[in-house]
Amino acid sequence: MKHLPKYIRPRWRYLAVEIESTPDAEIDRGAFQRELWYAAGNLLGDPGSADADLTVYSFAFADGIGETIVRVRRGETDPARAALACVDTIDGEPVGLFVRGISGTVRACEERYLGHRTGNSEQRHVAFADADRPAYARGEAVEVSMPTGFVSATELDFE
Amino acid sequence: MAGFYEAITAYPAGTSTVSRYAKTAARHGFDGLVVRTRDAAYDPVAIGDRYGIDIVDGIEVDAENPESASGSIGNFREACTLLLVRGGTNALNRYAVEQDRVDVLTRPMAGDGDFNHVLARAAETHGVRVEFDFGPVLREAGGQRVQALRGLRKLRELVEQYDTPYVVSGTPRSHFGLRAPRELIALGEQIGFSAAGIETGLAEWGRLAARNRERTDDSFVAPGVTRGTHDEAE
Repeated sequence: MKHLPKYIRPRWRYLAVEIESTPDAEIDRGAFQRELWYAAGNLLGDPGSADADLTVYSFAFADGIGETIVRVRRGETDPARAALACVDTIDGEPVGLFVRGISGTVRACEERYLGHRTGNSEQRHVAFADADRPAYARGEAVEVSMPTGFVSATELDFE
Repeated sequence: MAGFYEAITAYPAGTSTVSRYAKTAARHGFDGLVVRTRDAAYDPVAIGDRYGIDIVDGIEVDAENPESASGSIGNFREACTLLLVRGGTNALNRYAVEQDRVDVLTRPMAGDGDFNHVLARAAETHGVRVEFDFGPVLREAGGQRVQALRGLRKLRELVEQYDTPYVVSGTPRSHFGLRAPRELIALGEQIGFSAAGIETGLAEWGRLAARNRERTDDSFVAPGVTRGTHDEAE
């Protein structure tokens, strides 16, 4: 269909969102979009969800850290924040989400808020809970592999 | 405006250490954390230096009944800055709001717990904060979430009516569950709270901690009266 004239097109806001999960989590754009729609549908209801019109744009995730841009209708950023806060697991993996900032264009959003974090993690062993345990370290953040699953720590816990 | 605080469950009860919570909380814009877990190991000074987060040592008493809660309160009151009692049954809720020694009654509406005008008045009289637990709203779905929302609404109406002091928490069990103040405020607005109300509830943890630290300070005699050297110049 012919695209709308500029003055009548919907106005958008772009949320730069930071995603954090366990080192072995594999999250792709589709899974994140699905969980986001569920969260919005459950919290805001169908009308609210349609109003917010949450769409995942660029998506990058590796080694337990990622970032993405979520498009929202202008004026609906607060409901969008609330819906994002309610995404707690993706494909069974716990995720932490944080809105780094909001921009009016994708480009401004990328330039201002994205591309600061890298997913390079190294494997090593740390002394934790009376034993030597395998761990994944990314900067100061360390995920210790325990029999019950990962325990998240920082370098401060091993000093 | 006072800084925002969150009350956390740390390792070994949760799956993240206090320092990892602090790292995430600093990024999210919190000013402090209240540790609910009694046997968590951490160094508040080192964490404060590294991440700029004020760590408050709290203890959340999780008892079966008022009798055993009473014993724990007596044991732990001196050992921590903030004493929290986990509600969830009518007997425990009733007991906790009538104790001056208790700072916060947590998750009063969980399980079989309920709240009413008598408890709201008692909590106001005894200065016990009741907690709005956003955890189920953030992490549950379907019927359980509806129940949690219903509980939050009832509690909110009582708290507004009787001016009961309150705190707000997302009750994270790992640092992944930590949500930034702005997100919690946005969520609160969606479920019927006012933005100012949530801000007050998040800041209340910090105010409580500051009050208790002042009271346990050696120079403290009574509210407004402190022991110190008399300054002749004044």
